[in-house]
Amino acid sequence: MVILNKKGFKLPRVEKEKFITLIRLGLEYDGQKMLFSVKSYNNINQLRNTLQDILKSEIAFTQTCTVCNVDFNCSTCKYVKACPTKDLPFSCVCNQCLRPKKNLQQQTLF
Amino acid sequence: MKNSLWVEKYRPTIIKDVIGNEEAKTLFVEWLENKRPTRKAVLLYGPPGVGKTTLVNAAANEYKFRIIEMNASDTRSEKAVTRIADPATSFTGLDKFSSEIKGNMLFMDEVDGIAGNEDRGGVNAIIKIIENTRVPIIMAANDCDLEKLRSLKKLCLLIRFQQTRIPLIILALKKICEQEHIKYEFEALENIATKSQGDVRSAINDLQGLSEEGKTLTEQDTLALGLRNKDISMDDTLQGYFASKNLTEAVILLNSSNVEYDDLLMAISDNIPRRYADPFKLAEAYDYLSQADVFRGRVGVENWHLLKYVYNNLAQAAAVDPESYKSFEFISPPIRVITLFWTKNKRTLLANICTKIGAQCHISKYEAKMIFIPYLRLMLQQKKKAPALIEWLKLTPEEVTFLASLKMF
Ligand SMILES: Nc1ncnc2c1ncn2[C@@H]1O[C@H](COP(=O)(O)OP(=O)(O)OP(=O)(O)O)[C@@H](O)[C@H]1O
Ligand SMILES: [Mg+2]
Ligand SMILES: [Zn+2]
Ligand SMILES: [Zn+2]
Repeated sequence: MVILNKKGFKLPRVEKEKFITLIRLGLEYDGQKMLFSVKSYNNINQLRNTLQDILKSEIAFTQTCTVCNVDFNCSTCKYVKACPTKDLPFSCVCNQCLRPKKNLQQQTLF
Repeated sequence: MKNSLWVEKYRPTIIKDVIGNEEAKTLFVEWLENKRPTRKAVLLYGPPGVGKTTLVNAAANEYKFRIIEMNASDTRSEKAVTRIADPATSFTGLDKFSSEIKGNMLFMDEVDGIAGNEDRGGVNAIIKIIENTRVPIIMAANDCDLEKLRSLKKLCLLIRFQQTRIPLIILALKKICEQEHIKYEFEALENIATKSQGDVRSAINDLQGLSEEGKTLTEQDTLALGLRNKDISMDDTLQGYFASKNLTEAVILLNSSNVEYDDLLMAISDNIPRRYADPFKLAEAYDYLSQADVFRGRVGVENWHLLKYVYNNLAQAAAVDPESYKSFEFISPPIRVITLFWTKNKRTLLANICTKIGAQCHISKYEAKMIFIPYLRLMLQQKKKAPALIEWLKLTPEEVTFLASLKMF
């Protein structure tokens, strides 16, 4: 499993045709930094398949918590099996924000 | 406000409060702010109940746009088309505005109602509007309608909405519980959210339906919520229903069907004589059905918690005599309004109209829907009779348009 950061990731050199497909499916390429990023999400499922093809591995994008902004990935999520949009799109709520655990200090204080 | 529908009460009014689909929201806002001026129209598409309509209204509210709503019949009138193309309602960048209202935006919600292969005129009218517009045009549809909208799609910036994630829905439900002072077991909210299949509207409706004032909402309370299967057909539902081996099986089956309650009630009433050959059993089943009917009548738009009694009585009717079950052919009523896959908004609209008819004509809502609605629709097409009829039933303009757009089979 390869975890990609949607805001910028590297890919091995691809043929021109593949490159065009990637751009058409919604990637953007920054030639200077040599980084790809996700620009459009409409075809995100196909985009993922194509990337998996290129990388010859399962891929996942990092998730950002809409409450605390931390980056995490879906494999840590309790609901991943039932999730209707596994790994895509890229915003969710992290475990800690969903169900705040009492912090350790409080628990051991009494 | 105690009796209002929570989906309305908690409908977000600012963009930030619309949960999920961050990418779609960002794209939409960028387009509104004129950072993506390549297209004059956007099409928001995706599954039901994820916030498409809500986002448009919230954005209009925040960016101080006046929404001009347009629907099926409007698009065909030349006047409407020219009104939209009028330079007075021109599309200027946000920064150029100084007054309170920054401008108009045209919103065509549920464009599937307008457009379709069988309705070239409608689609072409919209295309003409887009070509001539000087105001931003926003359309919304479910993804299943996209095929029909092929020629329109080319002119639009497409923005895809996806199902809302479980943790996001749980957070939203938690907030509502807090505001409604409802105590809950976390697992109950987990269940509701998981079973909503990413549909925030149905999750909130389920929450309202299951919770009772002063009582803790327990995991147990939510167990009967079956997996919502959006495509389960009436036939499959009836099949499972009549074959239920006991009460629990019938309850679970009914809860897992997404067939509309009224349709279900009617179809069961129609078919139950074929299920029970023994007249005494049949009478007993009818008894439960009429109980269900009584509760259904009281559910209205306000008392959603009564739905469980509707279900329970329906389930009882299926479980009168499980041993005697033999499979049989179902009959379906000849004229029927298609409501199976409607959004709750539309169903509520129809229910309200039926209530008005029922009150004036002293008939039940089911009779109103089955017998009266088809005729009403025809009568409204007669220019001479329509005004008096509208007056008599006290129909709102929205309801009249809605009736005109109804598809029957
Ligand atoms: N993303 C969301 N955030 C918060 N509440 C939501 C969201 N989506 C839906 N809801 C709730 O569900 C109700 C219905 O949502 P809305 O009408 O925006 O759905 P929709 O995507 O337009 O569905 P449809 O395709 O059926 O028209 C809202 O009034 C609100 O209470
Ligand atoms: Mg909508
Ligand atoms: Zn967090
Ligand atoms: Zn997840």
